[in-house]
Amino acid sequence: MSTILKIINLTKRYNDETLALEGINLEVSRGEFISVIGPSGAGKSTLLRCINRLIEPTSGEVIFLGQHVEKANKAELRKIRAQIGMIFQHYNLVPRLSVLENVLHGRLGYMSSIKGLFSLYSEEEKEEAIEWLRKVGLEKEIFKRADELSGGQKQRVGICRAMMQKPKLILADEPIASLDPKSAEVVMETIYHNCIELGIACLVNLHQVEIAKKYSTRIIGIKSGKLVFDDTPDKLTDEMSRFIYEGKESEMYQHQ
Amino acid sequence: MAVSQHSVKGSRREKISIGHKRTQRQQRIFFFSVLILFIFSIVMIDIDGSAIAKGMERLPVILASLTQISFEHFLEMLAGMVTTVVIAFLAVLFSFVISFFLAFLVANNTTPNRYLGLGLRYAVMIIRSVPTPIWVLIAVASIGFGPMAGIIGLMFPTSSFLIKAFSAQIEEEGTEVIEAIRSVGGTWIHVVFKGLLPTILTGMIATLGVRFEIDVHESVVLGMVGAGGIGYLLQSYIQYYDFANLTLGILIVFVTMFLLELSLNRIRALLRTQSS
Repeated sequence: MSTILKIINLTKRYNDETLALEGINLEVSRGEFISVIGPSGAGKSTLLRCINRLIEPTSGEVIFLGQHVEKANKAELRKIRAQIGMIFQHYNLVPRLSVLENVLHGRLGYMSSIKGLFSLYSEEEKEEAIEWLRKVGLEKEIFKRADELSGGQKQRVGICRAMMQKPKLILADEPIASLDPKSAEVVMETIYHNCIELGIACLVNLHQVEIAKKYSTRIIGIKSGKLVFDDTPDKLTDEMSRFIYEGKESEMYQHQ
Repeated sequence: MAVSQHSVKGSRREKISIGHKRTQRQQRIFFFSVLILFIFSIVMIDIDGSAIAKGMERLPVILASLTQISFEHFLEMLAGMVTTVVIAFLAVLFSFVISFFLAFLVANNTTPNRYLGLGLRYAVMIIRSVPTPIWVLIAVASIGFGPMAGIIGLMFPTSSFLIKAFSAQIEEEGTEVIEAIRSVGGTWIHVVFKGLLPTILTGMIATLGVRFEIDVHESVVLGMVGAGGIGYLLQSYIQYYDFANLTLGILIVFVTMFLLELSLNRIRALLRTQSS
């Protein structure tokens, strides 16, 4: 299996004091579906954002497809980000634009400022975007405004946007934390099946252990900025989960 | 009082105060400060009662002379009014072009460089602290009397107003969409035009409407300091006690402002229904 992402001794310090991440080492291979579990505030979001440098890591190395992300200049970073899809807890769609436009935003990383500014997407890209929307069951909403959709539908638009990037890796930050259980299941299924089908490696932040166990090929546990568990789902004992969520046990099951 | 009666069952004690102590203290401090400032101000400007009384006596005469009206300069004044509105319109339009980009450089969530943003923010504050007529006088001094001086003079306060208003609107959008566009590899231009602009454009247009209204007001007054337009005419009528023409001038300004406000309100209502 080829390595997609390698993280070496990653540390993130806020304001020279609070340690958000401390010496994280991680290797992600093609086709892996990894859940990152841990209580709120453990550093899950920081970890994901350090990978594509939405947050600048303090020290350590992040190597994506053999390229050092932390040393990349602006142009290189854009190219790296273009190949890493991201899915957000609050969907982060542009509310006033159509669903289709939001999905096409996934192509901006491959376009110049000017081309993107005038929305010069190719017809093939548009067809592909429509195809993705059809695939996730949103064929009737293509020309609706993004803010007219329900939460579950918005998240599926978010997935399509990420897929339009033709990513090698997807980072999903609490993709179902704002959804009801039924929509949450649809969204998890959509992310899981498409990633597996296309061989896209995926890192998903979750706080519900049950869902992590159901979908992952591997689970990572983070507790106060440290990696405390890294193994297959069947190795995650109740005892281990309780250790990871020590003091915040209620979060393990809660659906926000 | 009702409260104290309820609480005293049997034994008589002191009255229960029902207010929030800190709020009451703040209000008292505020009241006394205003009182002291008021006394200081009265002493400072040395109000002369007899002058006010004499002026009051003259007021009916002035008002009476304002009842005469002359249409002699009607076309000239109409042209002056149009010039005044045009000055305001161009000032807002040019300022919009300048402030649009600067606002994105100033706003916390979109500034490419924190220090650049902060520096611009202070520059805007300094420009705002200088009153508009002074900007116009500076413009008049450098390029001479006329509408162009009015436009340039108005552009300083208008741009700083717009930058402040726009950057606040940009900051209200938070970081969510910005993160999304950056995460797909989008450029700063993509973040601004594809991520934020679609959402904040209607708000920006509404702000432009508000500022246009203010600028027409300002533009009337600024004519009096040399920016051209109807203000210049009004100024000369007042100077020569030409009340018949002044009355028509005031009437023209009133009708224009009234129509302007009506139409801007309509546009605002339209924008609101469109944005929901």
